[in-house]
Amino acid sequence: MKYPMNKKLPNFIFTNQFGLLFLVLIFIIIFSTVTDGFTSRFNIFALSRVIAIDIMIGLAMMVVILTGGLNLALGAIGVCAAMFGGWCMEVLGIPIVPSLLLTLGMGSLLGWVNGIITVKTGVHSFIVTLATMSIYFGFMTMLTEAEAFRRLPDLFTDFGSAKLFNKYVSPLLLVSVATCFTLFYLFRFTDIGRKLIAAGANPEAAEVSGISVSRMFIYCHVLSGFLGALAAILLTTRIGAAIPSMAGQLGMDWLLPAFLAPVIGGTLLSGGKLSVFGTMLGAVLVTLLTNGLYLLDVGEFWIRFFLGIILLLAVLLDRARELLTLKNVIVS
Amino acid sequence: MNRTLAAIFKKDWFGLLIVVLVSGLAIAAVKPAFLSPFNLYVLMVSTSYMLIIALAQMIIIAIGQMNLSVGAIGGLVAISFSGLMEVHQISVPVAVLSGLVIGIACGFLNGYITVKSGISAFIITLATLYIFKGINLGITEAEPFYNIPENVKNFGNAKIGNTPIPFLLIIPIIITILMWVFINRTETGRHMLAYGNSVQSAELMGISSSKVVITAHIISGFLAAIAGMLVVCRLQLGTPNIGDSWLLPSFAAPVIGGAVLAGGKVDVIATALGVLIVAIISQALVIFKIDPFFVQIFLGVMILLAVFVNRYREYKQEVRRKIFSSE
Amino acid sequence: MSEFCLEISAANKSFPGVKALDKASFRLRKGSIHALLGENGAGKSTLIKIITGVHKQDSGKLFINGKEETLNNPNDATKFGISVVHQERNLIRRFSVGENLMLNNLPKTLLGLIDYDEIAIQSKKWLEIMDLDIDPSAVVSELTVAKMQLCEIAKALSLKAKILLLDEPTSSLSPKEAENLFSLLRKIVRDEGVSIVFVSHKLEEVFNICDEVTVLRDGQNACTSENINNLDRKKLVRLMIGRDEQIVKSTRKTDKIKDTVLALNKVKTELGHENINLELARSEIMGLYGLVGAGRTELVKCLIGLEKITEGDVLINGKKTAIDSPKSALEKFKIGYISEDRKKEGLILIHNVLDNTSITIWSQIKKAAGLVTDGMIANKVNPYIRKLEVRTPSNYQIISNLSGGNQQKISVAKWLAAGTDVLIIDEPTVGIDIKTKAYLHELIINLADNGTSIILISSDMPEMISLADRIVVMKDFKVNGIVENDRDYDVVSSKIMEFIHS
Repeated sequence: MKYPMNKKLPNFIFTNQFGLLFLVLIFIIIFSTVTDGFTSRFNIFALSRVIAIDIMIGLAMMVVILTGGLNLALGAIGVCAAMFGGWCMEVLGIPIVPSLLLTLGMGSLLGWVNGIITVKTGVHSFIVTLATMSIYFGFMTMLTEAEAFRRLPDLFTDFGSAKLFNKYVSPLLLVSVATCFTLFYLFRFTDIGRKLIAAGANPEAAEVSGISVSRMFIYCHVLSGFLGALAAILLTTRIGAAIPSMAGQLGMDWLLPAFLAPVIGGTLLSGGKLSVFGTMLGAVLVTLLTNGLYLLDVGEFWIRFFLGIILLLAVLLDRARELLTLKNVIVS
Repeated sequence: MNRTLAAIFKKDWFGLLIVVLVSGLAIAAVKPAFLSPFNLYVLMVSTSYMLIIALAQMIIIAIGQMNLSVGAIGGLVAISFSGLMEVHQISVPVAVLSGLVIGIACGFLNGYITVKSGISAFIITLATLYIFKGINLGITEAEPFYNIPENVKNFGNAKIGNTPIPFLLIIPIIITILMWVFINRTETGRHMLAYGNSVQSAELMGISSSKVVITAHIISGFLAAIAGMLVVCRLQLGTPNIGDSWLLPSFAAPVIGGAVLAGGKVDVIATALGVLIVAIISQALVIFKIDPFFVQIFLGVMILLAVFVNRYREYKQEVRRKIFSSE
Repeated sequence: MSEFCLEISAANKSFPGVKALDKASFRLRKGSIHALLGENGAGKSTLIKIITGVHKQDSGKLFINGKEETLNNPNDATKFGISVVHQERNLIRRFSVGENLMLNNLPKTLLGLIDYDEIAIQSKKWLEIMDLDIDPSAVVSELTVAKMQLCEIAKALSLKAKILLLDEPTSSLSPKEAENLFSLLRKIVRDEGVSIVFVSHKLEEVFNICDEVTVLRDGQNACTSENINNLDRKKLVRLMIGRDEQIVKSTRKTDKIKDTVLALNKVKTELGHENINLELARSEIMGLYGLVGAGRTELVKCLIGLEKITEGDVLINGKKTAIDSPKSALEKFKIGYISEDRKKEGLILIHNVLDNTSITIWSQIKKAAGLVTDGMIANKVNPYIRKLEVRTPSNYQIISNLSGGNQQKISVAKWLAAGTDVLIIDEPTVGIDIKTKAYLHELIINLADNGTSIILISSDMPEMISLADRIVVMKDFKVNGIVENDRDYDVVSSKIMEFIHS
């Protein structure tokens, strides 16, 4: 892809997003023609809800990948936060909005714990979140006795089943897209966003240049927890209940979409380079593919296999991209 | 005699052995049923496959990497093993062999892609985790295989003579001994540890990185396969969710056993004791009627503590060495 | 049969943006200890990498024992009997000495298991040659660094090395250990038929132990296989530095130097510095000179808060302060640090020019809601990018695509943009082309003239003498002496050398 020298090159990997958009459109065209039901109102609405949640999960993982780390506890944090919120609404009778704020707070808190442990002990976030994943989930299961909250306020659950735009689109998707724009603004147009990116790209250089890298990494983990809680809120409102198993055992069901979206979208696993809209498009692409394959009777069971292959290809591509970005590093 | 005693004292696993004995005895003091033949049997059964799973992860930790797909490989082999016998009427020995081959193939895939792409193993094995699990689900469609041959089922249930020792335990014990020999007395094993200690130094000494990494992953896959098949014997079914819960304990035991995640320091005996400790605590929770979900919390905390302690020990040794070597 | 066991003739080697070797030659005579000298960036390490098979020369020939050979990788070098003992230790510390010595070639029993008894027997032999009275089953991590090094040499001998390359061998040794090493080196040259390439910054050692000297300068031979007896220290230094680079003239307006902005009082650090007393005045350029391992970079890192100061005071404009991080150094005290390792600590290689240049000022220029746009940044940093004449197709060029010189300019530009009162500059012109080097020198002087106080760390003597007003000489994490710079090259350089070797 050629671009004139004096034209502005965005910070994000432009070619990658364009390619993704292209792929998304191609698949939409393919699936619309080859399957029935893909373009039905029912299907698109359902898709919009799944995409909304997958985008959010992807964004939540993206901000930790930015630091060069991982947040395996993402699902666990989400479910813990949602169950906490459910408890607030159903048992304590706290009104919806304060409950939601408490939910987000809980997610941020759990993320903060991950961040503090990672930064203070120097242990890789993979291990820290591998451990906290079980700790959080274990505590949650114990406290809730694995019981779901099914009598949540109607106003809240109605949001999940609401239909906009001639019944095609769920408001959940609007929440996710709005979040995308907010994050885009954060990383592109604020000093703190730039610092987060710099800290993730080269912690040593960032530290020497006057950035408090530990603080930045902690912010990333807090943000991840926050977004995870937000994703869980969307999921809860979609299901209509807060269920302990809604993200799978230990929250592990979220891990695949959480990785796929950012990595396909151009966020470098080594840290320091991300793409908010790439993550969004990545989530869209993966959901579309999953849905399309399902409608093509591929069998829901083989879909996970395909997604695993896509993840593998995505990381191989990520690696190739990383090597290309550093292609002309001067050797001494 | 004194020198051997002193040597044993210094070993990493000695402290763990004390923990095992003390905790075992303490629990038995409060609840004598803990030492009942039945309870010991259950304890040994769960230890048996956990031991192999822990060793499967340990060998990868030894080279400074991580294998997230141990459970997925085990599960895939488990259903292949049972599926071959049930659906295709394959004889037991051939089915076992096929299971092992699948495990080796999965391990090879992990190792090969890791080496050739230069991407870290935990990302690669995260992807293959889904690939293997996906194949598993694709084949089984989430339905277990129920018709396991009688002799396999019996093997899973049998005990040695009148003792509470399960037949199942024999294989893991043999494997543990072989792994100990491999790590401590074979050239490939030593090369692996050297690589885990310092990739640069190992390569400068002419050790082939690709050989080391691929061999380690093959062994890991092989062990995961054995564990998967043992579980089938035990459960008398081949269910698709075998292996789903292996990830955490596969790390917990080696780490409790003093393994350093950066690589180059693992101990087979200590890992085995780590497995035992986890099994004892889990059993104790059941006996004391404590919420079983507490196990998860416990495992998570243990991992954090163990990693932290190991890191601290390494740091202390570094400091000691720095002071000592400036003569 | 050649009298030279190793010969490199007219080697050329280039990397993107830099020509490391320009028709460089090297001839190692059998049974000799041959010094390879050169300043940082002279091409020494590239030549070493060619000898050890890490790199291949672009053109030029390599001969071993008179026969032309090609080394494709380090294993080839080992096969031809070339072994290298690096500056940092390369043993497996958790393993035993014996195991380390025999790791490529472990003796086995009938069952295929490692025969540890045999390891002990065979390794004893090599340990004895190096006068090492160590139990082969001793764990390497419990040895002193000096003994580890001797083990590495023993290992090289066990691999039948006939050409041994030692890279800065005494950098972590005490004088006694170094002397022990030298007598052993003489012994193995005499008894084992080994020839040695000795790479070192320490000239007194070169005179102590070496027979011949080759000096590289700017990728070329300043001298080749010169007999050590034909040289003295002064001549050697001149060969390394180059007569025509002695800069004497300076446009420094020294009468501008006024009050003390920064002072260190009896400072001790957790890295080992002791009794550091320094004073930096406004508009002054204070040089820190020393050999590798003197502790200069470590000291300034303590100053900006990356490592801890354990005792003593740091005074800024007369007030006692504690700097706990580069962030507070910059934001509270306007102290900046241009790192010597620009790829690791100075720049973010995967980001573009604009982001790299502005990293120090985002907090400064932000508007409401933290807003910082590329436009705002460009306004602030473009003047500096232009001023430094950075050659880049656009502000959005990824830094890794720039030449070394331009990269270095960016790592300077970002601190100019930040507007510091005190700027610590660490090895600013290593591996940089001459034109950029001159430019940066001018810039440094300008900065000082306009009120910035500068601490300059450099191992480049001419650079130091042309820029610094005073030169602090450091050795072994202590200050050995301070030289006032009257810009008389011969006088000042010998005073500095005296402090170094005292």
